[in-house]
Amino acid sequence: MTATPAERRVTRASAVPDVPAFDTAGLDAPVREALAELLLTMADDEFVLGFWDSEWTGIAPMLEEDVAFSSLAQDELGHARVLYEMLAQLTGGDADAIAFGRPVDGYRHCRLLDHPRTDWAFSVARRWLYDTADAVRLGALRRSSFAPLAEVVAKIRREETYHLMHMDVWLRRLAGGGEEPRRRLEDALAKLWPDALSPFAPLAGEHALLEAGILGQPMAELAERHLAQATATLAGLGIALAGGRVTGSPPSTVDGRDRAVPAESFRWLWNEFTMVHRSEEGATW
Amino acid sequence: MTDPLALDPVLSPEERSRLPYHDPDLSHEERYDAFVEHVHAGRKVEARDWMPDEYRNGVLRFVEMHANSELMGVLPEREWIMRAPTLKRKLALTAKVQDEVGHAQLLYRVAEDLGKPREQMLQDLLDGKTKFHNVFHYPTRSWGDVGIIAWLVDAAAIVAQQALRESSYGPYSRTMKKICWEESVHIMHGRDVIVTMMSGTHTQRGMVQEALDRWWGPLMQMHGPRSDRSKDRDLFWRIKAKTSEELRQEFLSIYVPRIRELGLEIPDPVLHYDEGAGRWEYSEPDWNELRTVVTGHGPMSQERLEFRRLHHAESAWVRATVLAAPVAAAA
Repeated sequence: MTATPAERRVTRASAVPDVPAFDTAGLDAPVREALAELLLTMADDEFVLGFWDSEWTGIAPMLEEDVAFSSLAQDELGHARVLYEMLAQLTGGDADAIAFGRPVDGYRHCRLLDHPRTDWAFSVARRWLYDTADAVRLGALRRSSFAPLAEVVAKIRREETYHLMHMDVWLRRLAGGGEEPRRRLEDALAKLWPDALSPFAPLAGEHALLEAGILGQPMAELAERHLAQATATLAGLGIALAGGRVTGSPPSTVDGRDRAVPAESFRWLWNEFTMVHRSEEGATW
Repeated sequence: MTDPLALDPVLSPEERSRLPYHDPDLSHEERYDAFVEHVHAGRKVEARDWMPDEYRNGVLRFVEMHANSELMGVLPEREWIMRAPTLKRKLALTAKVQDEVGHAQLLYRVAEDLGKPREQMLQDLLDGKTKFHNVFHYPTRSWGDVGIIAWLVDAAAIVAQQALRESSYGPYSRTMKKICWEESVHIMHGRDVIVTMMSGTHTQRGMVQEALDRWWGPLMQMHGPRSDRSKDRDLFWRIKAKTSEELRQEFLSIYVPRIRELGLEIPDPVLHYDEGAGRWEYSEPDWNELRTVVTGHGPMSQERLEFRRLHHAESAWVRATVLAAPVAAAA
């Protein structure tokens, strides 16, 4: 018989087990610091994206898509959890404390994730941009010399493949779905495009990661690869990124994760997701 | 999980066509009698069977309200997905609420087969023409509510739902097997949330007690007023198997000891088990409140419906895009 959704979820949850045990003694301090930064940025990206996904729970355009976006949210949160746990093991902290215990300006997610949920086209456009970028980033980590990360990335990539397929179907459906869906999609892409490369913001200590073979290619190179791929797909759908509707500022990786002040949408989100955690100091939930 | 179909073999179309109420040579009354006999023998009715209008409408109304309740039940919990205080809790709550949406989808599918399109059911819900369970008309105030809903509201629901696995309507009874399995996981999640808080700080324990105080009344009203077994048409048709009072007694028997075991106080001074009578005695639930609430005048009824109307309207363009004939993407 076919597994029920609940059974499938159980299987999927156990597909991303706790972090493989590792010894940090072999890592120099600069490498360790840079690795911590890499893990934190990736975990924060997945954590914040998971929140925007679960905002559709109960109100998605169709029940089928409601269930699908909840699965996406659970996957992203699962990835965030395993990355936070790896970071906690690296730095001697606690995954929940890292996820919920930082001040609002302490999060390192990319600017692409600073926009509020907005409409369905916006969610599709952002997810598609993020998923395609994430696929490039994960590709550069799959042969990471840091074995526990390579192992976790292999598992994450298996799930992300399905996310990308799902988003690709929606991108094409909206692009070819008539006047209104197309206009909404193009508006969303125009708004998001300046932040399209923000997942590849240069990392502090990136050189150390490259030299140690933890990261396969420089972020700048990954950004170029992503830009070429995304532009080609969108051009194939007749969505011009230069000279068409989707222009605006050219995308840049500079300050992709650094802001003078947190975005308003993230302030709101932070207030929500830390509300219970902050309500009782030191309590176990 | 056991394959539900293995427990309830569905007859082949040929065998089904030989059921007496499918005999076109019989009069309507004879078919009706044969149908009643079939149902009273504990056998199942399938979607494409001949059935009396009263049966069709009865099942549709029952399943539609159940579907509406699953869908509206998502709203009180969804905001707490954002606020879940740990990674583990957030994962569990997200999965639980997803289950409820999935149940709504399954149940609307069951109801659809009886002749009412899903979009019409959603519209009737939004227009206030159809109902949903009383417990989903109330606000949620703290993380304690998240635990009480998943533990006790779902427990009260599962008592009713387990009985519905015996429903005479085959598609509904099979769907209930899957739903009960998932609901039982929700109850474990809810109990774990409550046990953790009850083992925590003074404030956390107070939060749980305060939530229980607010939810007890609606929980006692949830199964509805006592009814006359002989006049209940849903029982006659075996759409459901137990009376409201049977369900309430069952809920109290299982959960009163479990609630008290955690050091919680149930806000009903009358509540006790009468050994002689073999039943729980309790303060009369406020049936006026129940009537007021389920007719759309509860504390959150209109706000939740308005929230759903707003989002339904905002995403109409997406449904129109998906349901329209496919258009080739621009080259």
